[in-house]
Amino acid sequence: MDGRKSVSESSLNVAQPVLQARDVSVQFGGVQALSDVSVSVRAGEICGLIGPNGAGKSTFLNAVTRLASYGTGTIMLDGTPIEGAKVRDMIGLGVARTFQNLGIYASMTVLENVMLGGHHQFGGRFAQTIFNPMSSGARERAARVKAMTVLEEMGMADVANTIAGALPYPLQKRMEIARALAAEPKILLLDEPAGGLTHGEVHEFGELVDKVRRSRNLSILLIEHHMGLVMGLCDRIFVFHLGRNLAEGKPEEIKSNEAVISAYLGRAA
Amino acid sequence: MSDGSRSRLVKFGLFAAAAVLLPLLLPGYALQQVCIAIAYAIAIMGLNLLMGFGGQICLAQGALFGVGAYVTAILNSDYGIHPIATLPMSATATALVGLVVGLPALRLQGLQLAIVTFGIAAAFPQLLLKMGGITGGVSGLPIDGLEAPTWVPVSPELWLYVVSQCCAGIAALLVTLMLFGDVGRALRAQRDNAQIAEALGVNLTKTRLWAFAGSSALAGLGGGVFAIITGFISPESFLAILSINIVIGSIVGGVTSVVGAFLGGLFMVFVPTWASDINLSLGNLIYGLALILIMMVARNGVTGFIEKWLSTILRRTADNTASVKETREELT
Ligand SMILES: Nc1ncnc2c1ncn2[C@@H]1O[C@H](COP(=O)(O)OP(=O)(O)OP(=O)(O)O)[C@@H](O)[C@H]1O
Ligand SMILES: [Mg+2]
Repeated sequence: MDGRKSVSESSLNVAQPVLQARDVSVQFGGVQALSDVSVSVRAGEICGLIGPNGAGKSTFLNAVTRLASYGTGTIMLDGTPIEGAKVRDMIGLGVARTFQNLGIYASMTVLENVMLGGHHQFGGRFAQTIFNPMSSGARERAARVKAMTVLEEMGMADVANTIAGALPYPLQKRMEIARALAAEPKILLLDEPAGGLTHGEVHEFGELVDKVRRSRNLSILLIEHHMGLVMGLCDRIFVFHLGRNLAEGKPEEIKSNEAVISAYLGRAA
Repeated sequence: MSDGSRSRLVKFGLFAAAAVLLPLLLPGYALQQVCIAIAYAIAIMGLNLLMGFGGQICLAQGALFGVGAYVTAILNSDYGIHPIATLPMSATATALVGLVVGLPALRLQGLQLAIVTFGIAAAFPQLLLKMGGITGGVSGLPIDGLEAPTWVPVSPELWLYVVSQCCAGIAALLVTLMLFGDVGRALRAQRDNAQIAEALGVNLTKTRLWAFAGSSALAGLGGGVFAIITGFISPESFLAILSINIVIGSIVGGVTSVVGAFLGGLFMVFVPTWASDINLSLGNLIYGLALILIMMVARNGVTGFIEKWLSTILRRTADNTASVKETREELT
């Protein structure tokens, strides 16, 4: 318990974090998926979120995107609590995410998928499509340019018009990140983005994420089981275990943390 | 030019040629039947928007079609408004009714929604009878016949055909605008996975209600055109089975295709008649078998079938020209 207290204090010392979750608890029926967890990510920081299967990592992302409602605690974006926001408001508030089991539209093209990331910015104007088609055409073009720019940055421009379902799994995952980037978020939540990558690809993927983040001073919260990637990429790491904070710190600190080693790293390694 | 856009162009060319040739080839009565098919096609386009792109089932499209027909008839016979001038009002009024029909869709999905909307379709003819004061009850309502303006030297039948084709053209344009770009993507996104769509900022309530309104507006427009073509309407034209037939027309044509909507309309009007022409006592049996056969052969509707067939042919000719070129290069 003492450890958790120092976690909160250390995050209060710095300038206001982009994302700050304090004492968040989530319950599914009788299952206590999260108990009083706290996480904070500062501007431009990339934080890892690790822990054994079922530790509650994905549930935490769901709480931040309001797909899972939390009973107690508070989550703040730039110091503003998100409790009043709906699921669909979150992307407009600057939170974009990917899903652990792919949240793509397999029957749409890659470009269409990525353009959906810009929906909150360019879209949603139904009447305009009929009563002012010129203006909705202009918005459509702007959304397309934005999506193509992101696809180029992600090295996927050549598959823009491919049906997403026809892409290999790793590219589908990358496309989902492109879609999240097209939303121009303040913070990007990635749920096991390197799943299905080979060893060499993981390294390349890490460099891509780092490049993307530096070029837009983006904050990232990364869930990943691939320890090499997490340790190499992250500024700080949060460890969950059985729905609770187990540890928090720099990669070296986490690597040598006894509790983490016995609960997680010992087994993973 | 890509394969897809070329086959789309070929399809559209065929369609335009058929639209121009039909009135030259068909006798007056058959042309009127084609006009009715076009009126149904307009309602099918609406349903395609809602069902094909929005993934919402609506078994009340025939009732909404009836609402549009009655709005046109009432405005014309009670208020003396020119039949064509009533059409925008029919579409608007039906869109509003459709919004109300769409409200249950916010809570119900799939089969439950099908039952609720079918309830509306089942109640509609009786409701018309009960509201005899405005609807004329069993005796129905007449609509003024259309006369071609003096500067258009065509027969009344041909003029009706031109008017209904123009309305269908407007409907097709509206559907295309509504499905173009972001709105179409949002519709498909909420259909394929509502939770992810919501996480992407799609307003599910607004999107679904909007789809219902748009679909209903087209049902209303189709109904108005139907009233003008037939010159007389009564509750009998809008029995519950009409809603089912519109769904069948939509699926037979291909739920995501504008051209398919026309094929669906033609199917609705002509196939039952042909079936009973073949053998009067076995008409329903033949019609039923025809339906089964079409679904077995063309699972994505007739347009899906034609598209596949066209793209195979195009690819084969492309392959042939390529191989001819290769052999020539080898020879030189
Ligand atoms: N929608 C749900 N309904 C019921 N229980 C759930 C739900 N989502 C998650 N859980 C439970 O909450 C706990 C935490 O699950 P979660 O998916 O957050 O774990 P995780 O850390 O992401 O694990 P993994 O590494 O396997 O992805 C698990 O016990 C899981 O069974
Ligand atoms: Mg998970």
